[in-house]
Amino acid sequence: MKTRYSERPPLEAPGRLSTARSTGTDRAGAIRLLYRLQALVALLGIIVLAIILSPRAADGSNIFLEAGNLTDILRQVSVTGIIAVAMTFVILTAGIDLSVGSTLALGTSVVAIGLTRWSVPLGDVGRISLAIIAALAAGAAVGALNGAVVAGASIQPFVVTLATMIGVRGLAKWLTDNANIDIGFGQDVAAVFAAFISRKVVVIGSLLVMAAVFWLVLDVTVFGRYVRAVGDNERVARYTGLPIARVKIWVYTLSGLLSGLAGVIYAAENHQGNPNAGVAYELDAIAAVVIGGTSLMGGKGSVSGTVVGTLILGILTNVLRLNNVDSNVEMMVKAVIILLAVAVMSRRKSE
Amino acid sequence: MANRTLALLLGTQFLLLTACHSSAPGPESDQKQLFVAFSQCNNAEPYRAAQNALMTELWAQYPDVKLVIADAGQDDNKQIAQVETFIREKPDLLIVAPNERAPLTAVMGQAVQSGIPVICLERDILEPNYTTYISADNRDIGRMAGQFIVDYLSKKYGRPQGNVVQIKGLLGVEAEIARNDGAHDVFARYPGIKIVNDAVADWIQAKAKDRMTEALRANPHIDVVYAHNDPMAIGAYLAAHDLGREKEMIFVGVDGLGGPNGGIKKVMDGILAATFVYPLCVDKAVEVGNRILRDRNFKPDKVYTLHSTMITQQNAAEAYGQFTFTN
Amino acid sequence: MTTTELLRAESVIKRYDGVAALRGANFSVANGEVHALVGENGAGKSTLARIIAGATRADSGRIFFEGNEVSISSPLDAQRLGIAIIFQELDLFPHLTIAENIAIGNLKLERQAFVRRRELDLWCQPFLDQVGALDSPRTVLANLPIAHMQLVAIARALSLDARLILMDEPTSSLSDDAVERLFATVNRLKQGGVSVVFVSHRLKEIFRICDTITVLRDGSTIGTKTTQSTDANEIVTMMAGRPLKDRPIAKRGVSSDVLLSVSQLTTGRIQNISFDLRRGEVLGVAGLVGAGRSELGAALFGLRRLVRGRVQINGQPVEISSPRAAIEAGVGMLPEDRKLQGLMMQMTVLENSSMAVLPRYQSWGIIRRKKELVAMEAVHQRTALKAASPDVPVSTLSGGNQQKVLLAKWLLMEPAVLFLDDPTRGIDVAAKADIYETIHAAASRGMGIIFVSSELPELLQCCHRIMVLHEGRNAGILEGAQATQESIMALATATAPALSGQSGLPA
Repeated sequence: MKTRYSERPPLEAPGRLSTARSTGTDRAGAIRLLYRLQALVALLGIIVLAIILSPRAADGSNIFLEAGNLTDILRQVSVTGIIAVAMTFVILTAGIDLSVGSTLALGTSVVAIGLTRWSVPLGDVGRISLAIIAALAAGAAVGALNGAVVAGASIQPFVVTLATMIGVRGLAKWLTDNANIDIGFGQDVAAVFAAFISRKVVVIGSLLVMAAVFWLVLDVTVFGRYVRAVGDNERVARYTGLPIARVKIWVYTLSGLLSGLAGVIYAAENHQGNPNAGVAYELDAIAAVVIGGTSLMGGKGSVSGTVVGTLILGILTNVLRLNNVDSNVEMMVKAVIILLAVAVMSRRKSE
Repeated sequence: MANRTLALLLGTQFLLLTACHSSAPGPESDQKQLFVAFSQCNNAEPYRAAQNALMTELWAQYPDVKLVIADAGQDDNKQIAQVETFIREKPDLLIVAPNERAPLTAVMGQAVQSGIPVICLERDILEPNYTTYISADNRDIGRMAGQFIVDYLSKKYGRPQGNVVQIKGLLGVEAEIARNDGAHDVFARYPGIKIVNDAVADWIQAKAKDRMTEALRANPHIDVVYAHNDPMAIGAYLAAHDLGREKEMIFVGVDGLGGPNGGIKKVMDGILAATFVYPLCVDKAVEVGNRILRDRNFKPDKVYTLHSTMITQQNAAEAYGQFTFTN
Repeated sequence: MTTTELLRAESVIKRYDGVAALRGANFSVANGEVHALVGENGAGKSTLARIIAGATRADSGRIFFEGNEVSISSPLDAQRLGIAIIFQELDLFPHLTIAENIAIGNLKLERQAFVRRRELDLWCQPFLDQVGALDSPRTVLANLPIAHMQLVAIARALSLDARLILMDEPTSSLSDDAVERLFATVNRLKQGGVSVVFVSHRLKEIFRICDTITVLRDGSTIGTKTTQSTDANEIVTMMAGRPLKDRPIAKRGVSSDVLLSVSQLTTGRIQNISFDLRRGEVLGVAGLVGAGRSELGAALFGLRRLVRGRVQINGQPVEISSPRAAIEAGVGMLPEDRKLQGLMMQMTVLENSSMAVLPRYQSWGIIRRKKELVAMEAVHQRTALKAASPDVPVSTLSGGNQQKVLLAKWLLMEPAVLFLDDPTRGIDVAAKADIYETIHAAASRGMGIIFVSSELPELLQCCHRIMVLHEGRNAGILEGAQATQESIMALATATAPALSGQSGLPA
């Protein structure tokens, strides 16, 4: 059978390998590193500000820097952070996923239903695993649907995921009869699930693991490079024979999968399946991605930037709350900061 | 490039400083300040706004108390985060009006474990993670409402029968469940009374108007609308008024707030047939809370239950004077 | 020619991403002269032109206009002074009409709230006449071939009352007729007192139309000479820094195995094209603008639905319904427009080079960077690409180097058949020679190459045979002694009877 052209070995013997980053190129590399670090610099700056502005406890210690507070912040941003990590991939393909909040709600509902209404002859671990897998599968299914329509029917992602956002919300509400499904504090399997998954270690660990995995995938895999390529210039990608449809279906599926995961964590933390959860979460996720330096037009961006963006938003909110700023003022300040950050980033790029 | 990052940081710093300093007023006193933190679930509801106003007024009597109110905008996650932040600030007293039962249970437990006295205000949570719980007897209110409706229908038709539209608040809240069950305790005895529509409007007037419109279209004959709070009852009234059917039925609500926008005035104006004063619970909370602050050895009851009054046309005018606070 | 100075640029410095594009270049244009700006790939000529036109800002340097120092920090500043530029990659709006494109951004027109279409047409017609554009002002731009679009761009510059017009490689997509018209326009401009700066590689044209030549090399000005006082060899030596010998291209013999066989290929724009391509052959494709050369490439690459036609590769019939299918069948294509269709501008040199065959350098889905680099180095040596490092974005490279990356991408794939659509457009002499050698090396390894170009000398130099298209049809294939510029033009303009068959013998 004729081997595919893209996988045939080259005819020529390889030449000498020159050192990849030789002197004289270091300057260009260094400058690019500095651009990347710009988001980090902004993060460090916000941390410094937070330390300065933090109130002090009765014993004089800095409240912001307390281990408990810092882990609080990480916990508070984990759910939207997980969604944002996957959203990075979607936006890198010049797409967008507005349905993540609704999928999160679906995830909370499915896992809660699985834990409280399914009677399966498995042990606690088995039942919990089954419920979680069901929620993840539901999220992935929504994502796959999004991806298939975006790739197959050539409808703009904004429109497709807008429709899914509405439809999936309806599905979640229908599954739960529009009610919340309480997960109690007792000894039943649902309570065990909630007690375990809502632990800070698990929640924060999930965010870190997902961020690390996606970071790696984007950086070193073929799929990761294809994701950026499709977003950079889809026409060129088509002319180069890249598997565009497959890439798109996968990025949306991953987005749905991680939204489902976020839903599982949400259900554990809130001790309920809630079909009304996650409203406007897509905006928080997109804000984090954008502040982190990923361009909405695709092709340029990173997972590390998204993590930084998520942290910036979380720390900002924490600083304001520690100072008991009115929550409405809080929203306005956040909006201004987001605009400032994006303005700075985009002015740099247009040069 | 570096210049722009610097500009961004300076701008942010300026903004944060302004925001932080403008929101932290407080008495300029040298005595030790007592810090009372109040996590309110949703300022947008009139009942809660009244709670906030009364809370502020009552605590203001004590110059050594600094009160901070946080609004969670009906968002569970936001309220959890706000309570967590309060815990970090180590308040001398924490009062929480939980948005929903299940989500807030764990974090209030954390507060208790950190040694902070916690008052759970008006709404219940799944576990007793508080120092004391102050509420009103919602089931009783439900029963009183149910009985009022039964009496009205008996008068209208000679026997207890009729079509009732029920409009509910947030389903996960104890008050909601209790007001529902209390009424049903009464209705269960009278098979002639039918609930023709069970709508959910999350305590919000605008949503209630929409739900009521749907109910009106589906049901040609409605006798009573029993809404679990006044704003929803008013919303239902507006919907009926738009369709010209408001004279066909009566509207019953719960809350009975004073002031020009409250339920009592609506009863005086004939829009609501009856409402039931839902105690703000704030005066009790401040009374108990103040004792907790001053007296280390004070052990409050685990639960304080307050009772309600029915307001109808007969006593509305008098009640108005009694329940209207100058804010 | 007056000797009053119109514009002077002094010590202009510009860096992109740490790489210096201009290191203190000087440049001076007099009133009413046509001044050429020449240099090799990456010498900085386009950059200097862009700075003068306000499209880019210099890092340092001074500009004087009519003796006064000016600051040009945006295209609007330049427009107000009376400086206009026509870019190599045209900056027009494809969805608007010709008239709208000319009118847009014209400050004088903006003051009117409503402009009637008829008024607009009448207003812009004289400019269109001046450049010799024959299309109706109501034509939507996207429906025009590139050469016509370029004329519109020039007409727009004229409409802005420019005192100085910079043209960046204006003739690279023009047929000889259009070039003549352009020259006539330039002369008219000169007589009207407008100065023209010609950034170009084509020394023949420069010596015809320009009064003065300034040579840049590696970002600095080497020297300025009047056309009369110098010759092509001297200029080329100044450009390259070394005397450039005329390197004749060795044309290897072609095997008789038929690699690609096309019969009756028909789409919306081409009719019944048939030809064979043999292993190791370079087949040129000539024709006027709009004759269907690029269309042929699109059809072979799966971008068009075939009304009729059969394609066989190595004797096997193939159905090419998409670019992916074309690549799997062993057909590669270098498109005409490298920015829109060829490269991913934000991605690096390495990433672009390996994009078509990335699965070769992976194990378990993970990219093996070393393998990738080795392959990339090998292929870039063949094209003599000069880039700071494999990890710079291709957007920072000069046009010529970008083209080399694009070529490398396809060479790395080692397709059976490679279709090159105007691969040397916008590339200087030295780099062109590199590319011709690369093409021939590839052919001698057995690749079949289809070479589309508007430069007849280039085709004659490189190709074994030349197919001439006329209005979508194969007007004939010329080879050997039969192939001359005249015979090609004759077929292309249909001023000679079409030659039947494929051997090039007259009917």
